Amino acid sequence: MPDQREAPERPSLIALFTAFLRISLLAFGGGLVWARRIVVEQRRWTSEEEFTDILSLCQFLPGPNIVGIAVCVGDRLRGSVGTIAAVSGFLLIPCAVGFSLGRLYLQYAHLAVLRNILTGVSAVAAGLLIATGIRLLAPHRGRPRALIVAALAFGGMAFAKLPLLAVLGAMAAISVAAATIETARAR
Amino acid sequence: MTDPSDGIALTLHLALLSSISFGGFPTVLPDVREFVVATHGWMTDQEFTSYFALAQAVPGPNMILMMSFVGWKVCGAPGAVASALAIFLPPCVIYFIAYRLWHRFRDAPWQRIARSGLVPVTVGLIIASGVVMSRAADTDWRAAALTVAATVLMFQRKIDPLLILFAGGALGGLGLL
Repeated sequence: MPDQREAPERPSLIALFTAFLRISLLAFGGGLVWARRIVVEQRRWTSEEEFTDILSLCQFLPGPNIVGIAVCVGDRLRGSVGTIAAVSGFLLIPCAVGFSLGRLYLQYAHLAVLRNILTGVSAVAAGLLIATGIRLLAPHRGRPRALIVAALAFGGMAFAKLPLLAVLGAMAAISVAAATIETARAR
Repeated sequence: MTDPSDGIALTLHLALLSSISFGGFPTVLPDVREFVVATHGWMTDQEFTSYFALAQAVPGPNMILMMSFVGWKVCGAPGAVASALAIFLPPCVIYFIAYRLWHRFRDAPWQRIARSGLVPVTVGLIIASGVVMSRAADTDWRAAALTVAATVLMFQRKIDPLLILFAGGALGGLGLL
């Protein structure tokens, strides 16, 4: 266990496995909505701040962010076996289910009703993701610097349609520089 | 199309790409397409695109799923498993080591500065990816209205988001979108 601080509780490995299994199976269009809801709101395994912290770390590392959340939350709560439990929960069954569903779907892809259902589900999934992002922003509402940076990163990707990597790199540099200046001034 | 050396070449290439996929695996998708469609001719462009759509349509880790379809096409079941492993194992190792280091120095002054700089960027990008997703999903004003409604309803903590997803699927299935 890498932490000296008290973790909120020590969930069983099975609890970690099933929590990340649920996150994965519910993850239409990305698991972040459900990862935050289950880890922060329902199980209270991490605080909102710590969850955002983990998410930021994962965002700046290569790979599927949401698997990174499983790795980090698992390690935080139960060490390396916790990571294995969370990652296997996230991947094993969902991959098998997704793979079989996908092969079925290929056979029925011509059915209009199926496509219509998916249109509705994707429209909702987009809204849920937007709301989750706004919630993650809520703790920063009193900090103008954070709000400006978030707005610029948002605008760069959603409206200027710059490549994700460019926004990520440039905004990280600008934002960390601004944070450094702010900290120096505060002293 | 079941030459094992094809499967090995694909697996190694995917492992390399996943290790450098900063910003998520979708950022290296164009390179994957280049490798499997243009360079090796293992599948058509259409097949590649349909695997993408498919992975979006089913729940679960969609890029891992998509690559297991690609691996399946190249080398059958072993190809599917090897491709999935190539996508998530290298990043898992990186995440694990980085998190241990990050956590160990969590009270260091430099990390507090880094965190307070990086978090807003992350959050801005997440909201943006929701908007980008909605552009693809919202084919007309009714779907767009549904996205807005879902955003608002998500703030009502008592409503299970799963219900909102079901409602969206039902509205779509009834032909109302």
